[in-house]
Amino acid sequence: MNNVCEEQVFSSIFKANSKTVFNYIYYKFGNEEKSHDAVQEAFVKLWENCSKVTPEKAKSYLYTVANNLYLNVIKAEKVRLKYAEPTYEHSNESPEFLLEEKEYKEKLDKALNDLPENQRTTFLLNRIDGKKYAEIAEMEGVSIKAIEKRMHLALKTLREQIDGI
Amino acid sequence: MQENYLAKWLNGELSGEELAEFKKSEAYASYQKLKDVSATLKAPEFDVDQALEQLKEERIGNAPKVIALNPFKKFLRVAAVIAVLLAGSYFYVSTLDESVIAQLAERSEVILPDNSEIILNAGSRVSFSEKNWNEKRNVSLKGEAFFKVAKGKRFTVSTNQGTVAVLGTQFNVENREGFFEVTCYEGLVSVTYNNTETKLPAGTSFLVINGKIMDTTKPNTAQPSWVNNESSFYSIPLEYVFSELERQYDIEVNSQNVDKSLLFTGTFSNTDLNMALKSISTPSHINYKLEGDNVLFYAEKAPQ
Repeated sequence: MNNVCEEQVFSSIFKANSKTVFNYIYYKFGNEEKSHDAVQEAFVKLWENCSKVTPEKAKSYLYTVANNLYLNVIKAEKVRLKYAEPTYEHSNESPEFLLEEKEYKEKLDKALNDLPENQRTTFLLNRIDGKKYAEIAEMEGVSIKAIEKRMHLALKTLREQIDGI
Repeated sequence: MQENYLAKWLNGELSGEELAEFKKSEAYASYQKLKDVSATLKAPEFDVDQALEQLKEERIGNAPKVIALNPFKKFLRVAAVIAVLLAGSYFYVSTLDESVIAQLAERSEVILPDNSEIILNAGSRVSFSEKNWNEKRNVSLKGEAFFKVAKGKRFTVSTNQGTVAVLGTQFNVENREGFFEVTCYEGLVSVTYNNTETKLPAGTSFLVINGKIMDTTKPNTAQPSWVNNESSFYSIPLEYVFSELERQYDIEVNSQNVDKSLLFTGTFSNTDLNMALKSISTPSHINYKLEGDNVLFYAEKAPQ
């Protein structure tokens, strides 16, 4: 028996996917609180429809629900993503290098915030969550080629922004 | 360069030739840096276990959620239901019959609303409706009781064997298993047994044992003897005498080789068990043994 209505199955789906659902919404809209809510809402919907959704379909179901929930709500808000700063406390790098790194990171953050939502989401899902293009394509409901296109454009735009071209 | 080569490069999909060409380009160093730094980015903290806990507690446990829009209305509804239940149960309880019970080895006295008196012998129970007493003077009796009825409307005693009706008098009703006796001490009593009415003037009794109406003698007292702590019998099978003994002392009576249909005439004390046992055994020529709450009556000689 492999039914989403079974608490064990449901819990394991939650454990495997909730973090990515959270990040996915966060990359799109840059709102931590609403990302938490999106996780809750998406999984409640999954629970309510547990008899209709197979465990295999659960993953894409979650992204669709989470996406739809906030698609219209947060679109207008200005994205302000923050990323945990990598710590250099124990590094042997020179202060000049560290300062340079810090400046670079600030530029990157700004450039990311200015990216179109779909490019940023694709880029960060790959860079932070290590998602393959095929996985991202499934989450976004588009072709792998479209994801490659977004990735390519994301890299190009980021580099241009950072290098001031 | 192929389409989307940056994405391919990031994914390590460029051919050696393409990669070499890309590395030669001006922008390569920038992309490499972007690749390295973006690998150190982190998303906000997300506690999976805590989120799951929250989901289970707040959302799944009580889904589907129903929110009362007006909690006061809900309170009023509950209050109304409680009020109806209370009123209903008060009405029900107040119309319930009053019951008085005399346990084994006990006697109880009941004063009715019209000052009529009932004295309950051991192991007996009466019930009556206090509320409707003035309209209907009716009591239900199980066991034995002596009635002193105040003058007034018809007074009835209902038993599962027969009904006794009077206007105002003193009488005793004994309604035991297989035994039904009514004795009139004053006035006139009407006994209905098997749809036949018998009028009992003062100083007479009506006795039914196992469905058979028996001849009786006139009582020579103004009250049943048990009211004065004695149990009297006139030609009554021993079986019923034993039962009365059990009730008066809350003991268990057994017999061995004793003919319980033997008729007994006599009186036993309701306060002194040893005296009572002698009063029963001596005239019947049987022996007894008392052990705790158990009495065994046995024949002097085993039947030949």
